[in-house]
This record gives sequence, C-alpha cells and structure tokens, in this order.
Amino acid sequence: MANREPHDGPILEIDNLSISFFTRMREIPAVMDFSCTVQPGEAMGLVGESGCGKSTVALGVMRDLGVNGRIVGGSITFRGRNLNAMTDEVLRELRGSEIAMIYQEPMASLNPAMKVGKQLMEVPMIHEKISAREAFERALEVVTDVRLPDPKRMLDSFPHQLSGGQQQRIVIAMALMANPSLLILDEPTTALDVTVEAAVVELVKDLGKKYGTSMLFISHNLGLVLETCDRICVMYSGEAVETGSIKDVFNKMRHPYTQALFRSIPLPGADKNARPLIAIPGNFPLPHERPPGCNFGPRCDYFKTGLCDAQDIPMAAIKGHDRHSSRCLRFTEIDWLAPRALPSGKAKGSVGNPVLKVDNLKKYYEVAANSMFGGGDTKVVKANETLSFEAHEAETLAIVGESGCGKSTLAKVLMGLETATDGQVFLDNRNIEATRIEDRDTSTVSSIQMVFQNPFDTLNPSMTVGRQIIRALEIFRYGNSEAERRSRMLELLDLVKLPRAFADRMPRQLSGGQKQRVGIARAFAGGARIVVADEPVSALDVSVQAAVTDLLMEIQRNEKTTLLFISHDLSIVRYLSDRVMVMYLGHVVELGDTDQVFSPPYHPYTEALLSAVPIADTSVEKQHIVLEGDIPSAMNPPPGCPFQTRCRWKSEVPENLCETRIPPMRRLADGHEIKCHLADDILMRMAPVIKISAELHNSLSVRRQVRSRAT
Amino acid sequence: MDPMSWTGTLGPILNPLIVASIAVFFLAFLTQAVMIFAGMRPGEVVITPDQNHGISIPRSPVDYTLMAMKYAILVFLACIVLFFIAGVFQSDLTDQGVVGAVGARFLPVWIALIITFTVSIRFKRVLGLYGKLFDSPIGMVGFFLVMFWVFTAIFAGLVATHGPIDVISQMRNEVPGAFIPNSNEGDFPAYLLGGDNLGRDVFSRMVHGAREVLQIAPAATLFAFMIGITLGLPAGYFGGKMDTVITFIANLVLAFPVILLFYLLVTPEIVLAGVPQYMSMVLFIFPIIFFVVLFNSRYHTQPTKRAILLAVVLVTGALCYFSLISDRGDSDSPLRFWPEVLDIFDIPGNLLIVFVSVVFVNSPTVFRIVRGIVLDIKTRDYVAAGQTRGEGPWYIMLWEILPNARGPLIVDFCLRIGYTTILLGTLGFFGLGVDPESANWGSTINEGRRLLTIYPHPPLAPALALMTLVLGLNLLADGLREESLKD
Repeated sequence: MANREPHDGPILEIDNLSISFFTRMREIPAVMDFSCTVQPGEAMGLVGESGCGKSTVALGVMRDLGVNGRIVGGSITFRGRNLNAMTDEVLRELRGSEIAMIYQEPMASLNPAMKVGKQLMEVPMIHEKISAREAFERALEVVTDVRLPDPKRMLDSFPHQLSGGQQQRIVIAMALMANPSLLILDEPTTALDVTVEAAVVELVKDLGKKYGTSMLFISHNLGLVLETCDRICVMYSGEAVETGSIKDVFNKMRHPYTQALFRSIPLPGADKNARPLIAIPGNFPLPHERPPGCNFGPRCDYFKTGLCDAQDIPMAAIKGHDRHSSRCLRFTEIDWLAPRALPSGKAKGSVGNPVLKVDNLKKYYEVAANSMFGGGDTKVVKANETLSFEAHEAETLAIVGESGCGKSTLAKVLMGLETATDGQVFLDNRNIEATRIEDRDTSTVSSIQMVFQNPFDTLNPSMTVGRQIIRALEIFRYGNSEAERRSRMLELLDLVKLPRAFADRMPRQLSGGQKQRVGIARAFAGGARIVVADEPVSALDVSVQAAVTDLLMEIQRNEKTTLLFISHDLSIVRYLSDRVMVMYLGHVVELGDTDQVFSPPYHPYTEALLSAVPIADTSVEKQHIVLEGDIPSAMNPPPGCPFQTRCRWKSEVPENLCETRIPPMRRLADGHEIKCHLADDILMRMAPVIKISAELHNSLSVRRQVRSRAT
Repeated sequence: MDPMSWTGTLGPILNPLIVASIAVFFLAFLTQAVMIFAGMRPGEVVITPDQNHGISIPRSPVDYTLMAMKYAILVFLACIVLFFIAGVFQSDLTDQGVVGAVGARFLPVWIALIITFTVSIRFKRVLGLYGKLFDSPIGMVGFFLVMFWVFTAIFAGLVATHGPIDVISQMRNEVPGAFIPNSNEGDFPAYLLGGDNLGRDVFSRMVHGAREVLQIAPAATLFAFMIGITLGLPAGYFGGKMDTVITFIANLVLAFPVILLFYLLVTPEIVLAGVPQYMSMVLFIFPIIFFVVLFNSRYHTQPTKRAILLAVVLVTGALCYFSLISDRGDSDSPLRFWPEVLDIFDIPGNLLIVFVSVVFVNSPTVFRIVRGIVLDIKTRDYVAAGQTRGEGPWYIMLWEILPNARGPLIVDFCLRIGYTTILLGTLGFFGLGVDPESANWGSTINEGRRLLTIYPHPPLAPALALMTLVLGLNLLADGLREESLKD
C-alpha cells in the first residue's frame, strides 16, 4: 500500500465550512458554518432531509463541486493537510487513494463497457504504479473480502451481469482497493432491497473495523446511521443543527429539529390510533428563502420571537456530554423529558364486510426470445403463484415484499391492466380477474384506484393540477357541466388539505409531499372503495412521510376505504396496517394480523425481513440475521420452497422436503397462515427478533389492551 | 455613370476601423494561442473570505487578449450597424453606398424586428418557453436571424427594388451598385447587388426567394411532423409486431438514396402515372386523422362538445384535403373528381412533387425520434395513472405523452426546417424544384454556377441568405434546447 507519513490527529477536520453555488441571478448558499471532526477509525453519520446540504459537504471534501460551486469560507483539513489550498494535481493523487467515495447508484459508478476486474485493477495501477499481476492479486483479495461468491468469475464479468447488491459490493471493493484513510458513503444502500441492504451495511461495518478506515456515512435513514456509526451530525437547511455521539443524540437530543424528526418516524410503539406520528408542520425552506436567525424557527414548537429570529445562531457545546453540541439558543430552557403533547387518540374504525376476495390467483408471463417472428424458446415467468386473501371494508392490508416478489403484478391484475392466468378475483362477489380495464364499467374502474410511488412522476408535468383532477372526474362521468366538476375538484383539494389556489399551479411548482397529495385526491375522484397504494411515501422525506400517512389514514376513516398498502418498509407497515401479507417470489409466505406477523412464530423470511429493517431506537435490541445471496430471478425460481436458497432454518426440515416440494399454506392461529415446512415445535421455539427494553414494553402492552378493548 | 461604392461617404472613416478591428482580432488570437501553449492560464475567480462573499477576478495576460478579441468583434459589428443606420438617414444613393442602401431597403424589417424584440423582452416572464429564449444570447441571435428572413418574406414587396423576373438587358452581369442607364422616373435607379446573366436584379431575387423558401419549408416540415408523430406514437406505445413493421419500413425509406428518389419522382412516366398524386393522397390524410383522434380521445366523455369539434375538423379537413389532391384544371392529373366550386386552391404539380418528396424523406426520421421519446415516457407513473383510470390508448398518447415530448420535438422542428431549406436548395440545384423562373435560392445558386469564375456575385447573395437562415435556425434550436432543459 501507499507510503503515507504517519499521522495521529483527526483524519478529517472541517472547520466553519461554507459552500455556495453561484448562478447568473444570485449566490445560493448550500452549506453554512459546518464543522465536524472524524477521528481515525471512527464512523460519522450525516443525516438530514433531501436538500439539507449533506451531499454537498461530501463533494466539498472531495473538492468536486463543479463549475458553479465554491468553498466560500472555512477550511477542510485532511490528515493535517489543508484541502482548500491543494492544486488539481495533488487532489487527483488524493482522490480514490486516500479518500474514496461510494455513491447511491452502483450501476452509475461502474463502467458498463469494462470488466469488473479491470476496473478494480486500475485503482492501484494508477495510484501506486504496481504491476498488473500484483493488482490482480489485490483485486482478488478485496473481492473475497467483500464476500462475493466465486471471486475469479466475478472479476471476469461485466457490471450488467451482476445483481444490484453484487454491484454495490464491487463498488465498495473498488473504494477499498487503495486502502483509503477516509471512505465517504453517499446513501450507499438506498437503491437496494432491505435484506440486501442489511448485508451490505453489515459488510461496511466489518470492513471499517478490519481496515481501520474512517467513514463519513451520509443517509436520510436514522436507523441505518444508528447501526453503522459512532457519531452523528444532524443537518437542516444547510447547517449542522446537532452533533454528538449516537447515544447522546438519540436519547438525549438537544435540538428541536432532532426531536421533531424522531417523533415523525414510526418507531415500535407508535400506533395510528393511540399514538399517532407527529408531522413537522410547514415546509423545508428553499436555499434562497431561508428565514432570519434560526432556519428551523418557523416550524419549531419552541420558537420565541425576538430571540430566535434576531441573530445568527452559533453551535454551542452541551455541558456534561461528550463532544455534543446543538445550534439552539433555548436548549437549556426546554424541558426535554416532557412527554409529547399527544394529538387526541382517534377511535379505531370498525372493519366491515369483505370487499375484495382473491382466490388462488395465478399470473404467468410468457417471454418469447424473438418478438418479430415469435419463434425461439418461450420462457414462463411465474409472477404470482396461488395468491389467496380477503380485504375488508375500512381495513388496511399491507403487502410486504422486496423487488421481484410479485406485488406490482398483483396490483396490475387488480387494476385490470393484466388479466389473470388462473384463479379468481371478486369485487363484491363479481368476478373481475378476466376483464381488462377497457371492458370494465366506469363504477368498477373508479372503485379500484391507485396511488403511485414516485411523487415526481405521478403527475403529468405539462397539465395544471386542477385540470388533472377534473380529467379524472370526466372519465368517471362525474357531473354534467364543467362548473360542477370544478367545484368537486376544489372539494377534493380540501380533502387532501391543499389550498384551493393550487388548482391552477403546474406540478413543478409543488413539493414532493404536495404532489403525492394531489395523486391521492385524483385516486379518490371517483369515490374509490379500494385504493392500492404502491409505496406511497417511500420516496418522501421523513417529516413529510408522517403527514401523508396521516392523511391517508384520515381519509380511510371517513370514507371507509379499503387500503392495500404495498411497502417494503416494515416500520411503517407495523404503524398503520391491520393485517399484513408477506410475499416472496410470487408466493404469499405469511398472512395474518399485524401483531401475529410481528411476533413469533414467524415465517423464516419474515424473520429475516424484520431483522433487516433498521430501527432508529437505541432501546431496541435486534437479533442479527443476514441472508446469504440475492433474491432468485422469477424467470428461474428454485425448486420446492421459493425461499429455500436463503433460508437459515432449512436444515431443521427432514428429508430435503424444502428442495423438492412447495410447502402448503398452514393455519397457525385464527387468521394467521404461513407457507413453511417447519414443524410446529420448531416454530414455537423461535425467539422474537426485536427485543424492546422494559419501559417501552409497558407502553406496548398498554397499546395491546387499547386494541383488544376496541375490537 | 460609375457604380456606387460599397461604403459610400462613411467609407473613408469606417473602413480603416474595420480593417484595424480584424487585424487586432487575429493578432490577439495568435498571442493568446502562444500564451496558452506557454502555460499561462486565464485568471481564476477568487472569493473574498469576508461576510459578503464578494468575488474578484485577478486578470492575467490571457484575459487581456481575450478582452481584446471581444472588443475587436464589437467594433466590427458596430461599424456594420453604423453603415446601415447611416444608410437609413442618407437619401442619396452615392452617399449611402451599397451597404447603406441595402440597410435602408430593409427598413420595414428593422422596424418589425425592433418591435418584436422590445415586446418579447418586456414580457418574457409570462411567455413560457418562448420568453425564456430571451435569456439565452445564442437563442436570441438565432431568433434574430430567423425573424429577419421571416419579416423579409412578409415585406418582400416593400424591400425588393424590382420584380423577381423583371429583365433589363443592359444590366446583364453588372457589378453590385451599378446604376440603370436611362432609368424611368420613379423606378429604383440601381441594381444594389448587381445583375445576373439575364439582367435580373440579384438583390430583389434574393428577397423574393426568401418568400418562396419560407412558404414551402415550414409547411413541409409540419406535415412531416404530423406523419412522424401519428405513426411514432402507436409504434412506441404499443410496441410488438406493429412497431417492428413500421420501423422496418422507416428504415427502408431512410436507406433509399434521396437524390435517386427525387429523380424518380420527377420522371415523366412516373408523373403521368400519377404517383406523386397518389402519394399525396396518402400523406395528406394523416393530419386529418391526427386532429380527429386528438379531439375524439379528449372529449369522448362529453358527446355534444365532441360532435361540434369533430364536425369542424372533418369539414375543414375534407375541404382542404380534396382541394389539395384534386385539380380539375390540370388535364394530366389522375384525380379530378372534386367539383370546381368547392376547390379552394390548387397546387401546381411541380410544387406538389417537392412537397411530397420532402415530407416522404423527413417523416421517417421524425418517426424514430417520436418513437424513442414515447418508449421513455410511457414508463412514467402518470401514464400508468391514466391507464388505471380507464383512459383510452390514444388519449394517453396524445394528451399525456405528446405534450411532455414537446421539448425535443420543438428543437428538432427548428433544425428540420433548416434541412428542408437546404433540401429545397438541392432540389432547385438539380433543376427538380419549382418552376425554373422561380426566385428560389437553390435555383438561383444553380443558375449562377455556370459563370461563377467570372461573375461570382449572382449566386453569392442567395448562398449567404441560405447560410444565415440555416445558421439562425440551428442557433434557435440550440437556444431552445438549452432553455428547455433549465427549470
């Protein structure tokens, strides 16, 4: 490895850093007065909502701010050398060898036209001028270190031949090739599935220890930071608002924004009726419209006029804590232990009769090798296998699973965009599985509607918001005149709590959360009775997530809508759903009440999924279950049980049953079914994945009582 | 009488300035190149580390040469503008000089341009993409050049000094600025840019040529777009066999040599067999289909509104369509069924051929562009939202997808008008275009070609005109692309 002069001070020291972007019109400050220190071997988490400047800090450390970006103040010191003053040549020497960066999208970081091995070998060959043979040896070693199976074959493949998880491992390997002193990870797992994410996070943690690398871990996910980092820095609107050790910030937070952030994420113990989430009011300020004084002021519960908006607020150290400081003038006055003001608990809506019934639904696709002449082999993709479930009126049924599990296909069949291969779907005792959407009557179409995942994609960018809702009303044959439809449209905007003036706005003038509200209004235009919500909040920032989730729940209570909530995020599922259906490779592997699914006995996949989801709560102890490998392709599913390739309980089943026969659906308790070969006594032995410390446990049991009283 | 000078009375003052500015420009350019090779760099932005983040740029010698080049260009342009302005205020032709006189003739165009730019810049914030064009200097230059020729086409009658085919035999191959001997009272007394080999005024032919070119090129491009869009949308949206077949045909047309196709289209046997007419029958029905589907898909939920709109589209569409393809007066035409009373306009056979061939050659490319954009946009959630609320495929294609494909399409439209203009020139150059007397730039260049070595001025004027128009369209497209990406 490179000869580096020894250095004992901190690896990275950022001091009062300010970064601005210069446009033709004005200077846009992206980061203001940011300081942090990363000690050798330490992992620093940088958390904040999108647009808060966390990625800009990372790019600033790399000195890669583009043409418009400039460091306008402060200094960045890396191993005692001032990065600000370095020339391009010196920086080139540094980047990739002493500071390495891992980005969010693995495929974008790899050259698609170059074999993986060659890309890895380039790093030491450029920086250390070693021979190709040596570089190959090193590549082989590092690829083995990132736990990729069959390293030789990996080095000899092109990036597109690998799965997303494998690609990200290769990117990590590339970063480690030069044995850097500092590793910057910018949302490294956001594009991956949860179980794959858990494995990658585990890997990063272990490698950090093994190589002694310091890390700057950028994420919007507090749970992930809790699992990976030693220290954390919370950013808001271009400023660090609180920094300290994980323990201090999570348990003894001293900034109102941090507190509000924790109150808006669904932790175990939150409940949609008894303990609803508290959304942060208002919107994130745009960089050139920041308020005077405290940036968080206008949204803060503890705001005091004349104090908080009168001056620039410096970071202040908190006495008695280890390097813990907060950018708040009032943190000594605020009573941090005061219980939060609970919004009045809402009565649980009563669940009605079954509205939707799915019986043995199958959906197979035939994929032909040659589209023009139809010849060649045809392959069958089994997207959905024997799905059976019921959904009741005013109920939230969560459909949980990772990519490729068939949840989107299920949604398509329900909507009528595809027809079922076999089985039946009843809507109010009418069969709809074979009727395509063109052949459905208006009332059927309008009673099943969908809310989409990506807020930036869900609205047509060249039509006003009002026009789009009116179009939905037109197609659902609502009203006889334009005026009637317009007034209904305004009512719908009221329903989703948007100002009526938004009717004439273009979608680009709306924020992500607002767009998602318009999407919800559009889905309810025809009085939908079943709403399929496909990850409706996963692309939103945490503080907005809570508000949109709350809105969905409130509409559901009032309209008695059945909500099919598709998600991979088990925290939010636990928070809002009544029943949960877990899917894997087209199969329903577990189905039951939320409490039944979230407590043992589990299906082995559910168990792994629960363990994989990061929880931002220090009092939660998790059992560590890391699944080996990736999700098999639906084109080529394993024989027998779909989960057998990654199952850790497989050895407990006699006679190789898992590899030969698909397990039947078994009833464990009333309304609780799983698809597994495991014997009853083994299932009963399973320990809970998530253990919660005593204090929280009490509140949970209170919640259970509330729930049992309600039913 | 001697011909007038190029620069008139201002010449002795401004000409040395122009020469000097050109010399300075090249000198500065050379010095700068040498300095860059020697390792000098332009000054970098330095930010003062105080509260206000003031910016200062220390200048290096390279910056000074760059500045010199910039000012040289500005001086050069200022001199040209001065000639034009002076021309407007001087009344005597000898005082004005050729440049000044040309500038004076274009007076209506200058006025129109000034009005357009003042109004547009004043209201640019409310004019959408068009308004944003005025934020981009490149787009503004392009728009200026394009609008210059558009206004010239509109005011051709006022700008031109003579008719496009007026012949004065003494003026054959006369140099620019030559006076007409014994000119009548009231007629313009000189040929500003000289005469061609038949004794026609080169300047007037160039001005009238603008009208010819701008009448055909945008209309032909528009038709090519309608066809490309009407075929590209379903091919991209539905995919499958239909896509394969249409794409295959488009590739076939693209692979066929364009010039050969043109020659085939004007071969007398083929014209007599009515092939261009039949082709026009097919090609021109697409716009009607386009508009019918457009309104039907949007208003099928409101029967009365739909009926009215469709009736309007169908009646006007049919009237234009049949007037276009059928020609009673032309005894050679195979399509002569449409009664004379309803026949609003006829298109001369030659022009129809040009139109058909331009549309035929351009639409496959447009088809490919549209298909590509549709393949991208159809994966968006708002398309899925349209499908899940039961919209028909044509509504989704025309109202959800097409408006969002407008950026690249507008840009390509500008570029394609440029290609079409060149194509018209090529056609004219081969003698395939419109009638041989026509002032069309392509034909004029072709005519002047023969005596190019002796008398270069007759083809030079239309060639420069063609160049500036195409350049303007390209710059306009660049500006539009740049501005449509921001937001």
